[in-house]
Amino acid sequence: MFRKILCAVLAAAAVLLAVPAFAHHGWAGNDDKEFELTGTVEQPVSLSGPHATMKIRAEGEVWDITLAPPPRTQAAGLKADSLPKGATVTVHGHRNKDPKRFEIKTERVTYEGKVFDVYPDRS
Amino acid sequence: MNALLGALQDSPLGELVRGAGVWSYGILNAVHVIGLAALFGAIVVLDLRLLGWRAARPLHEVAAGTVPIAAIGLAVAAVTGLAMLSSNARDYVRNPFLLVKFAALAVGLLNLLLLHRSRAWRAVRERRDASSGDRRRLAMGGALSLVAWIATIVAGRLMGYA
Repeated sequence: MFRKILCAVLAAAAVLLAVPAFAHHGWAGNDDKEFELTGTVEQPVSLSGPHATMKIRAEGEVWDITLAPPPRTQAAGLKADSLPKGATVTVHGHRNKDPKRFEIKTERVTYEGKVFDVYPDRS
Repeated sequence: MNALLGALQDSPLGELVRGAGVWSYGILNAVHVIGLAALFGAIVVLDLRLLGWRAARPLHEVAAGTVPIAAIGLAVAAVTGLAMLSSNARDYVRNPFLLVKFAALAVGLLNLLLLHRSRAWRAVRERRDASSGDRRRLAMGGALSLVAWIATIVAGRLMGYA
Protein backbone atom coordinates (compact mmCIF):
# COMPACT_ATOMS: atom_id res chain seq x y z
CA MET A 1 0.00 0.00 0.00
CA PHE A 2 2.66 2.47 1.12
CA ARG A 3 4.99 1.56 -1.74
CA LYS A 4 2.28 1.85 -4.37
CA ILE A 5 1.15 5.29 -3.21
CA LEU A 6 4.73 6.50 -2.78
CA CYS A 7 5.55 5.44 -6.35
CA ALA A 8 2.51 7.31 -7.64
CA VAL A 9 3.45 10.45 -5.69
CA LEU A 10 7.07 10.33 -6.86
CA ALA A 11 5.95 9.88 -10.46
CA ALA A 12 3.64 12.91 -10.14
CA ALA A 13 6.48 14.93 -8.59
CA ALA A 14 8.83 13.97 -11.43
CA VAL A 15 6.31 15.20 -14.00
CA LEU A 16 5.85 18.47 -12.11
CA LEU A 17 9.59 19.00 -11.77
CA ALA A 18 10.00 18.48 -15.51
CA VAL A 19 7.77 21.51 -16.15
CA PRO A 20 10.54 24.12 -15.57
CA ALA A 21 12.30 22.68 -18.63
CA PHE A 22 9.96 24.64 -20.89
CA ALA A 23 9.22 27.60 -18.62
CA HIS A 24 12.54 29.32 -19.03
CA HIS A 25 13.92 31.97 -16.81
CA GLY A 26 14.48 35.62 -17.45
CA TRP A 27 15.38 36.67 -20.93
CA ALA A 28 14.22 33.59 -22.87
CA GLY A 29 10.69 34.99 -23.29
CA ASN A 30 12.24 37.90 -25.15
CA ASP A 31 13.69 38.14 -28.59
CA ASP A 32 17.46 37.68 -29.00
CA LYS A 33 17.72 40.74 -31.26
CA GLU A 34 18.72 44.04 -29.64
CA PHE A 35 15.74 46.40 -29.74
CA GLU A 36 15.64 50.16 -29.35
CA LEU A 37 12.61 52.37 -28.95
CA THR A 38 12.14 56.09 -28.32
CA GLY A 39 8.99 57.38 -26.69
CA THR A 40 7.57 59.54 -23.94
CA VAL A 41 7.24 58.51 -20.31
CA GLU A 42 3.64 57.51 -19.59
CA GLN A 43 4.23 56.21 -16.07
CA PRO A 44 7.50 57.03 -14.25
CA VAL A 45 9.81 54.42 -12.75
CA SER A 46 8.35 52.26 -9.98
CA LEU A 47 10.98 50.68 -7.72
CA SER A 48 8.75 47.92 -6.35
CA GLY A 49 7.92 44.33 -7.11
CA PRO A 50 10.37 41.72 -8.41
CA HIS A 51 11.51 44.12 -11.16
CA ALA A 52 11.38 47.89 -11.41
CA THR A 53 8.99 48.98 -14.16
CA MET A 54 7.85 51.99 -16.14
CA LYS A 55 5.59 52.65 -19.12
CA ILE A 56 6.36 54.66 -22.24
CA ARG A 57 4.18 55.70 -25.15
CA ALA A 58 5.65 55.05 -28.60
CA GLU A 59 4.32 54.16 -32.04
CA GLY A 60 0.77 54.62 -30.77
CA GLU A 61 1.12 51.98 -28.06
CA VAL A 62 1.85 51.99 -24.35
CA TRP A 63 4.89 49.80 -23.72
CA ASP A 64 5.67 47.98 -20.49
CA ILE A 65 9.32 48.60 -19.70
CA THR A 66 10.75 45.93 -17.42
CA LEU A 67 13.93 47.10 -15.69
CA ALA A 68 16.32 45.30 -13.34
CA PRO A 69 15.24 44.33 -9.78
CA PRO A 70 14.62 47.47 -7.67
CA PRO A 71 17.95 47.61 -5.76
CA ARG A 72 19.93 47.18 -8.96
CA THR A 73 17.86 49.72 -10.87
CA GLN A 74 18.36 52.24 -8.08
CA ALA A 75 22.10 51.52 -8.07
CA ALA A 76 22.16 52.40 -11.78
CA GLY A 77 20.90 55.84 -10.80
CA LEU A 78 17.24 55.42 -11.76
CA LYS A 79 14.89 56.76 -9.09
CA ALA A 80 11.15 57.32 -9.10
CA ASP A 81 11.68 60.97 -10.09
CA SER A 82 14.58 60.52 -12.56
CA LEU A 83 12.32 60.37 -15.63
CA PRO A 84 9.36 62.75 -15.35
CA LYS A 85 6.08 62.01 -17.09
CA GLY A 86 6.19 63.22 -20.70
CA ALA A 87 10.00 63.10 -20.94
CA THR A 88 11.43 61.69 -24.15
CA VAL A 89 13.50 58.60 -23.43
CA THR A 90 15.17 55.87 -25.43
CA VAL A 91 15.13 52.34 -24.11
CA HIS A 92 17.44 49.61 -25.29
CA GLY A 93 16.87 45.92 -24.63
CA HIS A 94 14.92 42.92 -25.85
CA ARG A 95 11.33 42.94 -26.98
CA ASN A 96 8.86 40.30 -25.87
CA LYS A 97 8.73 37.42 -28.35
CA ASP A 98 4.95 37.72 -28.57
CA PRO A 99 4.36 40.48 -31.17
CA LYS A 100 0.98 41.27 -29.54
CA ARG A 101 2.69 42.15 -26.26
CA PHE A 102 4.34 45.54 -26.06
CA GLU A 103 6.93 44.72 -23.44
CA ILE A 104 10.68 45.29 -23.39
CA LYS A 105 13.18 43.81 -20.97
CA THR A 106 15.47 46.74 -20.74
CA GLU A 107 19.24 46.93 -20.42
CA ARG A 108 19.63 50.70 -20.53
CA VAL A 109 17.59 53.88 -20.68
CA THR A 110 18.85 57.15 -22.16
CA TYR A 111 17.39 60.52 -21.15
CA GLU A 112 18.89 63.93 -22.04
CA GLY A 113 22.26 62.36 -22.82
CA LYS A 114 22.34 60.49 -19.50
CA VAL A 115 22.59 56.71 -19.75
CA PHE A 116 21.09 54.54 -17.02
CA ASP A 117 22.68 51.14 -17.45
CA VAL A 118 20.59 48.76 -15.35
CA TYR A 119 22.32 45.65 -16.75
CA PRO A 120 25.88 46.90 -17.40
CA ASP A 121 27.26 43.40 -17.93
CA ARG A 122 24.68 42.57 -20.60
CA SER A 123 25.05 45.47 -22.97
CA MET B 1 -10.30 37.54 -11.21
CA ASN B 2 -8.74 40.58 -12.85
CA ALA B 3 -10.85 42.88 -10.71
CA LEU B 4 -9.69 40.99 -7.63
CA LEU B 5 -6.02 41.40 -8.59
CA GLY B 6 -6.57 45.09 -9.30
CA ALA B 7 -8.27 45.60 -5.94
CA LEU B 8 -5.41 43.81 -4.21
CA GLN B 9 -2.82 46.00 -5.92
CA ASP B 10 -4.72 49.17 -4.97
CA SER B 11 -5.23 48.02 -1.37
CA PRO B 12 -3.42 49.67 1.56
CA LEU B 13 -1.28 46.52 1.81
CA GLY B 14 -0.09 47.01 -1.78
CA GLU B 15 0.75 50.65 -1.12
CA LEU B 16 2.57 49.70 2.07
CA VAL B 17 4.77 47.15 0.28
CA ARG B 18 5.51 49.47 -2.66
CA GLY B 19 6.48 52.25 -0.30
CA ALA B 20 8.72 50.09 1.90
CA GLY B 21 11.96 50.53 -0.03
CA VAL B 22 13.79 48.75 -2.82
CA TRP B 23 14.68 45.70 -0.72
CA SER B 24 11.14 45.05 0.55
CA TYR B 25 10.21 42.55 -2.17
CA GLY B 26 13.44 40.57 -1.76
CA ILE B 27 13.02 40.41 2.01
CA LEU B 28 9.36 39.33 1.73
CA ASN B 29 10.49 36.71 -0.75
CA ALA B 30 13.11 35.37 1.69
CA VAL B 31 10.60 35.15 4.56
CA HIS B 32 8.12 33.46 2.21
CA VAL B 33 10.75 30.79 1.48
CA ILE B 34 11.34 30.28 5.23
CA GLY B 35 7.58 29.93 5.78
CA LEU B 36 7.09 27.40 3.03
CA ALA B 37 10.20 25.48 4.10
CA ALA B 38 8.69 25.11 7.58
CA LEU B 39 5.31 24.14 6.12
CA PHE B 40 6.58 21.66 3.58
CA GLY B 41 9.38 20.24 5.73
CA ALA B 42 6.96 19.44 8.53
CA ILE B 43 4.09 18.27 6.35
CA VAL B 44 6.28 15.81 4.42
CA VAL B 45 7.15 14.03 7.67
CA LEU B 46 3.47 13.77 8.62
CA ASP B 47 2.32 12.78 5.12
CA LEU B 48 4.87 9.98 4.86
CA ARG B 49 3.80 8.69 8.27
CA LEU B 50 0.16 8.82 7.12
CA LEU B 51 1.26 6.70 4.15
CA GLY B 52 2.67 4.15 6.55
CA TRP B 53 6.34 5.06 6.62
CA ARG B 54 7.98 4.32 9.99
CA ALA B 55 4.61 3.10 11.24
CA ALA B 56 6.12 2.09 14.57
CA ARG B 57 6.04 5.73 15.65
CA PRO B 58 2.63 6.58 17.07
CA LEU B 59 0.78 8.85 14.64
CA HIS B 60 -0.45 11.21 17.35
CA GLU B 61 3.15 11.88 18.37
CA VAL B 62 4.25 12.55 14.81
CA ALA B 63 1.27 14.87 14.38
CA ALA B 64 2.05 16.73 17.62
CA GLY B 65 5.61 17.37 16.41
CA THR B 66 4.72 18.47 12.89
CA VAL B 67 1.27 20.10 12.72
CA PRO B 68 2.18 23.23 14.78
CA ILE B 69 5.30 23.87 12.68
CA ALA B 70 3.36 23.40 9.46
CA ALA B 71 0.59 25.73 10.69
CA ILE B 72 3.04 28.51 11.58
CA GLY B 73 4.85 28.03 8.27
CA LEU B 74 1.54 28.24 6.41
CA ALA B 75 0.63 31.48 8.21
CA VAL B 76 4.03 33.05 7.48
CA ALA B 77 3.89 31.99 3.82
CA ALA B 78 0.30 33.23 3.44
CA VAL B 79 1.00 36.69 4.87
CA THR B 80 4.25 37.26 2.93
CA GLY B 81 2.75 35.77 -0.23
CA LEU B 82 -0.26 38.07 -0.09
CA ALA B 83 2.03 41.04 0.54
CA MET B 84 4.25 40.18 -2.45
CA LEU B 85 1.26 39.63 -4.73
CA SER B 86 -0.32 42.92 -3.67
CA SER B 87 2.77 44.88 -4.70
CA ASN B 88 2.26 44.11 -8.40
CA ALA B 89 -0.89 41.98 -8.63
CA ARG B 90 -1.91 43.26 -12.10
CA ASP B 91 1.28 41.77 -13.59
CA TYR B 92 -0.27 38.33 -12.98
CA VAL B 93 -3.55 38.96 -14.81
CA ARG B 94 -2.74 36.52 -17.62
CA ASN B 95 -0.44 34.26 -15.63
CA PRO B 96 -1.64 30.63 -16.00
CA PHE B 97 0.43 29.46 -13.02
CA LEU B 98 -1.41 31.82 -10.66
CA LEU B 99 -4.61 29.84 -11.21
CA VAL B 100 -2.82 26.50 -10.90
CA LYS B 101 -1.16 27.62 -7.69
CA PHE B 102 -4.33 28.81 -5.99
CA ALA B 103 -6.28 25.76 -7.19
CA ALA B 104 -3.60 23.46 -5.74
CA LEU B 105 -3.55 25.51 -2.53
CA ALA B 106 -7.33 25.17 -2.27
CA VAL B 107 -7.06 21.39 -2.72
CA GLY B 108 -4.37 21.25 -0.01
CA LEU B 109 -6.44 23.26 2.46
CA LEU B 110 -9.66 21.38 1.70
CA ASN B 111 -7.84 18.08 2.10
CA LEU B 112 -6.49 19.15 5.46
CA LEU B 113 -9.89 20.35 6.61
CA LEU B 114 -11.63 17.12 5.57
CA LEU B 115 -8.87 14.97 7.05
CA HIS B 116 -9.04 16.76 10.39
CA ARG B 117 -12.80 16.26 10.52
CA SER B 118 -12.66 12.59 9.52
CA ARG B 119 -13.41 9.66 11.77
CA ALA B 120 -9.91 8.37 11.11
CA TRP B 121 -8.31 11.53 12.48
CA ARG B 122 -10.52 11.41 15.56
CA ALA B 123 -9.10 7.95 16.23
CA VAL B 124 -5.60 9.44 16.00
CA ARG B 125 -6.47 12.28 18.34
CA GLU B 126 -8.00 9.91 20.86
CA ARG B 127 -4.96 7.64 20.50
CA ARG B 128 -7.08 4.68 19.50
CA ASP B 129 -5.83 1.99 17.13
CA ALA B 130 -6.83 2.91 13.61
CA SER B 131 -8.95 0.37 11.75
CA SER B 132 -7.80 -0.70 8.30
CA GLY B 133 -10.46 1.61 6.81
CA ASP B 134 -9.08 4.46 8.91
CA ARG B 135 -5.55 3.69 7.77
CA ARG B 136 -6.66 3.83 4.16
CA ARG B 137 -8.37 7.18 4.77
CA LEU B 138 -5.24 8.58 6.43
CA ALA B 139 -2.98 7.31 3.63
CA MET B 140 -5.25 8.95 1.05
CA GLY B 141 -5.07 12.24 2.91
CA GLY B 142 -1.27 12.03 3.12
CA ALA B 143 -0.88 11.28 -0.58
CA LEU B 144 -3.22 14.07 -1.65
CA SER B 145 -1.43 16.46 0.71
CA LEU B 146 1.97 15.69 -0.84
CA VAL B 147 0.65 16.18 -4.36
CA ALA B 148 -1.21 19.39 -3.48
CA TRP B 149 1.69 21.08 -1.68
CA ILE B 150 4.26 20.08 -4.29
CA ALA B 151 1.96 21.43 -7.01
CA THR B 152 1.41 24.65 -5.03
CA ILE B 153 5.16 25.25 -4.65
CA VAL B 154 6.06 24.38 -8.25
CA ALA B 155 3.25 26.51 -9.74
CA GLY B 156 4.11 29.34 -7.35
CA ARG B 157 7.73 29.33 -8.45
CA LEU B 158 6.78 29.18 -12.13
CA MET B 159 4.55 32.25 -11.73
CA GLY B 160 7.74 34.30 -11.74
CA TYR B 161 8.84 32.96 -15.09
CA ALA B 162 5.68 33.05 -17.17
